Amino acid sequence: MKYQSQAVAKLYFIAAIGLFLGQILFGLIMGLQYVVGDFLFPAIPFNVARMVHTNLLIVWLLFGFMGASYFLIPEESETELFSPKLAIITFWVFLAAGAITVLGYLLVPYASLAKWTGNDLLNTMGREFLEQPLPTKVGIVLVALSWLFNITMTMLKGRKTAISLVLTLGMLGLAVFFLFSFYNPVNLVKDKFYWWWVVHLWVEGVWELILGAMLAFVLIKVTGVDREVVEKWLYVIITMTLVTGIIGTGHHYYWIGTPAYWQWWGSVFSALEPIPFFMMTVFAFNMVNKRRREHPNKAAVLWALGTSVMAFLGAGVWGFLHTLAPVNYYAHGTQLTAAHGHLAFYGAYALVVLTMISYAMPIIRGRAANPERAQIMEMWSFWLMTVSIFFITLFLTGAGIVQIWLQRISATPMSFMAVQDQIAIFYWAREAAGLVFLIGLLLYITSFFVKGESRAFE
Amino acid sequence: MHNARPQSTRLSTIIWLILLALTIATFSIGEAGMSGKNTMLMLLAITMIKSQMVANYLMALRQTKMIWRIIMLAYFVIVGGLIALAYLMGLS
Amino acid sequence: MCLNNVNLNNENSNSANFNLAELPTAQAMSGQQDLPGDFAIWIFIFAEMLVFGVLFVAYAFTRAHNVALFNASQLTLSLTSGTINTLVLITSSYLVVRGVAAIKQDLSKQCAYWLTGALLLGGVFICIKVLEFHAKFAADITMSTNAFYMFYLSLTFFHFMHVLMGMVILACIIIKAWRGGYSTQSHTGIETGASFWHMVDFLWIILFPLVYVIR
Repeated sequence: MKYQSQAVAKLYFIAAIGLFLGQILFGLIMGLQYVVGDFLFPAIPFNVARMVHTNLLIVWLLFGFMGASYFLIPEESETELFSPKLAIITFWVFLAAGAITVLGYLLVPYASLAKWTGNDLLNTMGREFLEQPLPTKVGIVLVALSWLFNITMTMLKGRKTAISLVLTLGMLGLAVFFLFSFYNPVNLVKDKFYWWWVVHLWVEGVWELILGAMLAFVLIKVTGVDREVVEKWLYVIITMTLVTGIIGTGHHYYWIGTPAYWQWWGSVFSALEPIPFFMMTVFAFNMVNKRRREHPNKAAVLWALGTSVMAFLGAGVWGFLHTLAPVNYYAHGTQLTAAHGHLAFYGAYALVVLTMISYAMPIIRGRAANPERAQIMEMWSFWLMTVSIFFITLFLTGAGIVQIWLQRISATPMSFMAVQDQIAIFYWAREAAGLVFLIGLLLYITSFFVKGESRAFE
Repeated sequence: MHNARPQSTRLSTIIWLILLALTIATFSIGEAGMSGKNTMLMLLAITMIKSQMVANYLMALRQTKMIWRIIMLAYFVIVGGLIALAYLMGLS
Repeated sequence: MCLNNVNLNNENSNSANFNLAELPTAQAMSGQQDLPGDFAIWIFIFAEMLVFGVLFVAYAFTRAHNVALFNASQLTLSLTSGTINTLVLITSSYLVVRGVAAIKQDLSKQCAYWLTGALLLGGVFICIKVLEFHAKFAADITMSTNAFYMFYLSLTFFHFMHVLMGMVILACIIIKAWRGGYSTQSHTGIETGASFWHMVDFLWIILFPLVYVIR
């Protein structure tokens, strides 16, 4: 570790992994509820499990992004973090707020939670992924601002690189677009229209900048390829990402009461969104093939390559499957969407955070790489999680296709719940794959505690 | 990355003038209100010449590897071909 | 602006350590050369061509189903404005060619003059296009009016944005050229900007007959 203040990342990483475990547990609960409807009812109803599952995902990724940037920015800027103390305070505030919010979801009926937290003052709750009570939303803004402030100040007093610039830009976008979660017009079309400005412009816009910057950082470190080459790739990729991703928002505007031209704009531009992801894959493999050093942290290289491939498959290929307006007409809001969501979030964002953790954690703990045995265990966990999420995706894709057929295309369409019975076999298979994922995650966590002879710094 | 054999400015000027003339030709066809299959094919032919002149002489792809000129030509053949096909579909 | 930084400020980066797509970087023995400018810009150029190509074809096939509507709506466009704009873009492309030729002879100031001419013509294009847009909006025509106007406004607006982008790039290289930042040996930045500008011209040359003339 070059700078002492980089150590604050460790707190964030631990929290991220802990919340990741929570997310998976709730995923398994609701996965079972798909087929055993009253499992854990009334303690944890399906809607609550789903809310916790998705909210934990967002929060652990945010913890991961923050931790990763507190590690990355000092190293890129070649200076200590502006205020490690602020980073630590922010961490505890965010963790406490997150914990209280999840407890609120679990222990209090949602309507009461809304009443107690001032939803009457400013009505923002009750919308998918943006279920957080008002104080939590305000807290997220404050945490994001504190994070942005700390990172920007660090960058200003040190070296400014393309990677830190892109990362900061991504974080700025993250903070700015979250503000639309406070805007909740009565008109349902407008509500959805701006809701996507948070949801879509996060994951298919500004988060991709964060993803690109982190991947580029790790690749420079583990391959030793010239920064100039990596940065040029980064610029090309993020420009393509922004052009296709921002106008590609239109692929959510097909059937919600927005003007018809979105069907063309959305189809054409979102159909091109896989291109930057494909470029990212080519980029990652190209860099690793051209490597000038053999980094002792083999696991980090695996995670990085995995990110580029799974992001392309999950975000690119599975997104493209149902992005064209005529296809989406039938596929809209089916299990096909869930399939895409799982592989894209895992492939692009879960993996990039795990890549950063894999690279940074050994260094924070005072070694270039983990012991051989720990790395092997980590790589096993990579394969278990990656293969099982891929199977989850395949099962959900199967479920989605059958659902689309029975419910929307067939000459004698069936009702939603009747179709759910027909695709139960896919849900069981998905649940089994989910258990394998959990094993992979537990193995991953175990790998941190494996002792052995570790490689010191060269 | 400078050119070993720079294109003469006289050639560029000639190309520029041809492009202007072809544009005027396109304008005249439009102004005369001409329509139909043959007009469409003529307009596409003019457009093909113009686009390839831009690619080869103004973008200076003439001095690069063959593959780049092929890409630019193939682009027009595919896009222009589909435009023609769609036009013919519209006639019937 | 990122685009400009990456493409224009890398005068010293030779193509040998830039291998976006494993392209052969050494110049062929036959004297054939790599694409003019930074290879990164060509990725954009091909991607942009792909987007416009899809839109052109989408226009054509939508028209095939609404021939009468498209022919009637097309008559409301100003053929004269479209033609003038075509002439303007072609001429500005020609000026860019002269600018590139000038820098190859180490004539920085002349290069800047030629490119400034091209930039001004870009401004003329923008003005004429704004007038056209204004006329349509004044007539209460929007993207929701009918399929023709949806395509007309989408295509020309998207192209319009590329003209603006191209003008920003031109402005950057003009400033650097004026300050003597380029030379006979090192002028990748100018070729990069020039290639982008020619693409804007190339796409308009297809767009113009398709939308304004063919009926």
